[in-house]
Amino acid sequence: MSSPQATEELTKTQLDAKATPPAIRRKSLLREMWKQRAAYLFLLPKGILFTAFVLIPVIWAFVLAFQEYGVFGSEWVGFKNFKSVADSEAFRTALWNTLKYTVVTVPLQVLIALVLATLISPLGRRAQSFFRGAFYLPTVTSMVIIAMVWRWVYNYRYGLFNYVLGFLGVPAQDWLNQSNTALWALIIMSVLIPPGVGVIMYLAAMDSIPDSLYEAAKIDGASEVQRWWRITVPLLKPTTLYLTMLSLIGSFQVFTQILLMTGGGPGHATETLVSLIYKTAFRDLEFGLASAQAIVLFVITLIFGIAQYWLMYRKAED
Amino acid sequence: MNYTKYSKAFAVLATATLLTVAVTGCSKDSASTTKQETANWTGKITIWDGPRWEEAGNKYAWIESQKKAFETSHPGVTVEIVQVPWAELNDKLGVSIAGKAWPDLAPVDISGNGVNAAFLKQKVLEPIDEYVTADDKKDFLPNALDAYTQDGKLYGLPGGMTVHGMLLNLDIFKERNVEPPKDGKWTWDEFVDDMKKLTYDKDGDGKVDVYGLSTYVKNGYYESWPFLYMDGGRPVSDDLKTFTFDSKEATGAMKKLADLKTIPVAPKEMGSGDVGGTWKAFSAQKNVAVEPWATWAIQAAQKANMKNFMVAAYPTGSGKPVTIGGVGGWMMFHQDDAGKKKVIADLMKQLTSTEQQVVTAKNYSVFPSRKSAADQNPFADNPQMQQAQKLTETAVMMPKQADWKKIDEAIQSQLQLVLNGEKSPEDAMKEAKKTADELLSK
Repeated sequence: MSSPQATEELTKTQLDAKATPPAIRRKSLLREMWKQRAAYLFLLPKGILFTAFVLIPVIWAFVLAFQEYGVFGSEWVGFKNFKSVADSEAFRTALWNTLKYTVVTVPLQVLIALVLATLISPLGRRAQSFFRGAFYLPTVTSMVIIAMVWRWVYNYRYGLFNYVLGFLGVPAQDWLNQSNTALWALIIMSVLIPPGVGVIMYLAAMDSIPDSLYEAAKIDGASEVQRWWRITVPLLKPTTLYLTMLSLIGSFQVFTQILLMTGGGPGHATETLVSLIYKTAFRDLEFGLASAQAIVLFVITLIFGIAQYWLMYRKAED
Repeated sequence: MNYTKYSKAFAVLATATLLTVAVTGCSKDSASTTKQETANWTGKITIWDGPRWEEAGNKYAWIESQKKAFETSHPGVTVEIVQVPWAELNDKLGVSIAGKAWPDLAPVDISGNGVNAAFLKQKVLEPIDEYVTADDKKDFLPNALDAYTQDGKLYGLPGGMTVHGMLLNLDIFKERNVEPPKDGKWTWDEFVDDMKKLTYDKDGDGKVDVYGLSTYVKNGYYESWPFLYMDGGRPVSDDLKTFTFDSKEATGAMKKLADLKTIPVAPKEMGSGDVGGTWKAFSAQKNVAVEPWATWAIQAAQKANMKNFMVAAYPTGSGKPVTIGGVGGWMMFHQDDAGKKKVIADLMKQLTSTEQQVVTAKNYSVFPSRKSAADQNPFADNPQMQQAQKLTETAVMMPKQADWKKIDEAIQSQLQLVLNGEKSPEDAMKEAKKTADELLSK
């Protein structure tokens, strides 16, 4: 919809909608839905699954957070679980580790995806297809396999990391078993796993940038770097925003690699919020407390998400 | 959108199918909950088990043979086996309890510690006193039965016992001209001297590649703990009210263990949570001469073609000789049907019978928890298990405290830092004490 006629029509429709009373709007919406009932019927299976496995559990978690949950009967305890979360040093440690992990990995993952997509974009169709596949492969590879490979990479005696560092004269480190390196080792691993989804999305977004913009900039004497910085990066803002949000949510929920590689140790150096929630629920069977922890995580993620959206969206608008 | 009548019909059909699957899939097996208050109950029993010894490439052969035998002796009863790796068992049980979909019968890992306090708190375990006769109880070793007893009720039947001991690779001892400890006993000083001799540069590149000792530190695992007990230190007082791992006896022993890395007679990795890597270093790479393990490792070492090894005691300090024992067995989960409960109890008794305990002892490196099974001398042709059996005399169990798992985590996480050289034992235990005191004073 880019023609002036279409834009005018759209604006008119929006104005009409604002002028229509809500009851009538609702009626017409229902009528419209009824008209498209076959489409909604197709959506129904997914809707049922979503309700059963996402919506109800989420609502249930909110209810559980205010209870001392017992398999054969629960007791309403109000905000007691939330108070326990606030008083818990383990939760504060896990939150701090999660924040550190997120603040470092999210920008780097998005930046690496952008740089890779920029390098792949000018290539021919065949080469592009190859690199798309190559960079997407780790996305469909099980994290268990990736973690096993990285455990070997970080092995003190036989690992690739120490082997390479040995050539540079850097003394070997026991990467996963020292408090000062364990979390950084996990961060490096996360950053170095090719961001397949990001690359694919950036490539798709780059394809939709009109060539005429680059040609005009070229005529104006802009260098390649300037064209990338002044045209590509600003026009990719919506994609960047989406990927950042996605990456942020993923980072706040980091769990598998923690469980497989360090178990939260040494000490609590790599304990993250989700690994703590998991332990609270399935080791200690304190489902109410685990739900409260999960809700606090949800609220933190929401705040970060809104803040990020607001900042980036405003910049994009500017 | 112009959908054809066929696509509408397909959408309806797909939705109907999904609903049917959801409804039938989520419904309980009604056949298995027929209300019969007698021993004539018929239906399905779900049992979980982990991999045990291998028979014709099958690590579940034993439990499958038990299923067959039980189905033959109980017509109309079917036993469904769910295979669960040991490492996942506790988590899977936790998830199943959360979803109210627990098995009827499940094992406690053989290096475990009897009844699970969290399960008891949630009331998902069934007491089984009414199904075990007094004579039967007498046949079990008191400490094994005690592990499954809480508040005077019996919540499980012990299938076997385990103990932690030091596994010595005698090939490395021979190579370094080191005499193994006489009768498998050594003092701390003798032990350190031997470890020094066993630590060496094998390939002559100027770097040490074989170390005397290694072990790991991980929640719920106690291979390194008998070292901490050697001078008389214990984690909590006998009345389970006071944290005592901050005592001089305990922190002194921690320092001794941590110092092994600085001598160095232990690799830098000692104290990490890498169970597999630690085992591989001993059994496959053979670059560690001595490692402490629970007795399951004896059978694993024998299977890994480690013909020349022996089992020794932990070194003794100023305290009495000591090691840590464990009990494994079977627990029944909540049942509504008395008839079914009795049938499950029958299966528990079959799995822990004298005959089966002898079979398990011979093949799975565990000590019988029944006197009648021990009397049959199942280790007559297994010298390493005979050596390990001597250690049972000095074995102590882990404290039976309701919040033990949390206290354990508080200690183990700090112990990792001690062995890493990141914290002094005193500071580490001061930190652990905060959590422990809070839980012990509940």
